[in-house]
Amino acid sequence: MAQALVDLVREGFKEAVLSSHSHRGDEVVVLRREAVQDVCRFLKDGEARIQLLRDIACVDLLTYDTEMTGGGALASNEVPAYDLAKKAPREPRFQLAYNLYSVVRKQSLRLRVELRSDDVKVPTVTGVWRTADWWERYIFDMFGIEFIGHPNLTRILMYPEFQGYPLRKDYPTRKRQPLVAELDFPDLVRGPGPGPGGAGVPMSQTHVGRKNVDPTTYD
Amino acid sequence: MTELHDDPLALEADLPSSLMTVNLGPSHPAMHGTVRLVITLDGETIVDAVPEIGFLHRGFTKSSESSTWHQVLPYTDRLNYVSPILNNVGYIMGVEKLIGIECTERAKYLRVLGGEISRICDHLTCISAIGLELGAFTVFLYGVEARELLWDRISEWTGARVTTSWTRIGGVATDLPPGFVERLRESMPRVMELTHEIDVLLSRNRIFYDRTRGIGVLSGEEALDWGFTGPCLRACGVNYDVRKAHPYAVYDRMDFEVPLGERGDTYDRYILRIREIEQSARIIEQCLEQIPPGPIIIDDWRYALPPKKDVFGSIEGVMAHFKLIMEGIQVPAGEVYVYSEGANGELGFHIVSNGTGKPYTIQVRAPGFPILSALPRLIKGHAVADIIPIFDSINMIGGEVEQ
Repeated sequence: MAQALVDLVREGFKEAVLSSHSHRGDEVVVLRREAVQDVCRFLKDGEARIQLLRDIACVDLLTYDTEMTGGGALASNEVPAYDLAKKAPREPRFQLAYNLYSVVRKQSLRLRVELRSDDVKVPTVTGVWRTADWWERYIFDMFGIEFIGHPNLTRILMYPEFQGYPLRKDYPTRKRQPLVAELDFPDLVRGPGPGPGGAGVPMSQTHVGRKNVDPTTYD
Repeated sequence: MTELHDDPLALEADLPSSLMTVNLGPSHPAMHGTVRLVITLDGETIVDAVPEIGFLHRGFTKSSESSTWHQVLPYTDRLNYVSPILNNVGYIMGVEKLIGIECTERAKYLRVLGGEISRICDHLTCISAIGLELGAFTVFLYGVEARELLWDRISEWTGARVTTSWTRIGGVATDLPPGFVERLRESMPRVMELTHEIDVLLSRNRIFYDRTRGIGVLSGEEALDWGFTGPCLRACGVNYDVRKAHPYAVYDRMDFEVPLGERGDTYDRYILRIREIEQSARIIEQCLEQIPPGPIIIDDWRYALPPKKDVFGSIEGVMAHFKLIMEGIQVPAGEVYVYSEGANGELGFHIVSNGTGKPYTIQVRAPGFPILSALPRLIKGHAVADIIPIFDSINMIGGEVEQ
């Protein structure tokens, strides 16, 4: 359906397009990451008229081949660390998917960029579509992908002190996070907190009901 | 006093002013969930605003990755908890696209019917909340009464008011109960009557009109740039409705219109929802007329649970049941993006499977997420009191935005 869009990209950017395919009616173009900005700009301003960036999604392929088949309703889909260590990691590990749509032509297109795990950087497209701002922050928050040139690349759903990237496949589902020290805000009821690095145990740790477990271990 | 009299210019001099930072939310009755807005004010004018989200983050994607394909359904209920059926349908369409099957004819009609009832509930919630937060409490009571009538019908049908989990791969879970069509036909006139009451109470109300007209204006081009879809985009005059542009289920057989706004302001976003309720009511009536008899789920035991008669009566049935329960539905490997018209815009699911009984990853394109990101753009330059109508009219749902 959207083969016309694929041809447009292929003609305009012979060097940048690595491959293209269609799966279940979705047209996919795999790009070199350096060309993302140029291709997006071309698609938006050129005759493709792609005004809408639907979303940016990311897939971590770390356990794509190892995952247990089935296992029933109760079994976890998690792959233990010793299983991961046994096999060579799949590279490129991350796939970014830009889902695009042209309201005028009523056609969709997906751009895919593949990233190796030792170099998770990609140019930002916030200059092309403003909605990319939050999607890129989301991908950064969840997968740790760095978008070069993004105006405000900070965590969006998680809090700033969060450690690790929760949607990476090597982040355990039940991992615990360390408690965050209470900030030095004046509290009208309890008085000022001890503050980060202050003397004594932070109040946030003494007041929680559960035992303060080592966050690196999880059950 | 004497000083003022001595210097006549002192009365005219500017007051020394500085920028003030105000927190709105995360627990504010008008913030519809838990969103925090850090607003910088110059007097009463908004200079800057930073939305902070994530208070309601429950890890939808991470939870989905260790659930079977059907176990994800209850999570989708809780994305947009006002119109859960639309989420159920959107997600299950993605899985069906990945497998390459279609649901039965009757199930398609049922999905459209349930979806449109949910859409009315969602729009009613939005417009009655605008009324409530602008001081028109009566409007809220009318809206909630109408919504409650429809939720009663949905609970008779699916067993739950809002946590429906009602679709299945290849069909739906429950057929219409006896007498449902008659009761829905009794309820709908009352719902439309109440919607009409809201319409006449608010739409030409001087106070309401003045507070919403020309507030939070966005052009169509800019709205697309910000990723708007759904009523918020159509209020800006852009004709994009997934039900018309890419009809799924049986929307191609339905006769309905897509209302469009002209100015893209808060008033347009409000009035558009009322017009959409009227169109949804038309679709519901057509569904009830056209719905054919037949099975509600496909007869393919690789994907649908066999009927209990076969599970207890035949070896093939019990084997199929065992395999589906113990191993889950085996969805072929692949990657799809599927989109449907949610109540607030295009609801997308980016689903990846590696050929096992569990999704490899599911990422959701919540319609409210890009719309909320444009909130600072919408409210900048307006007064503090304009935040609430603008925020209400984009109808952000915390559950889907924060996943």
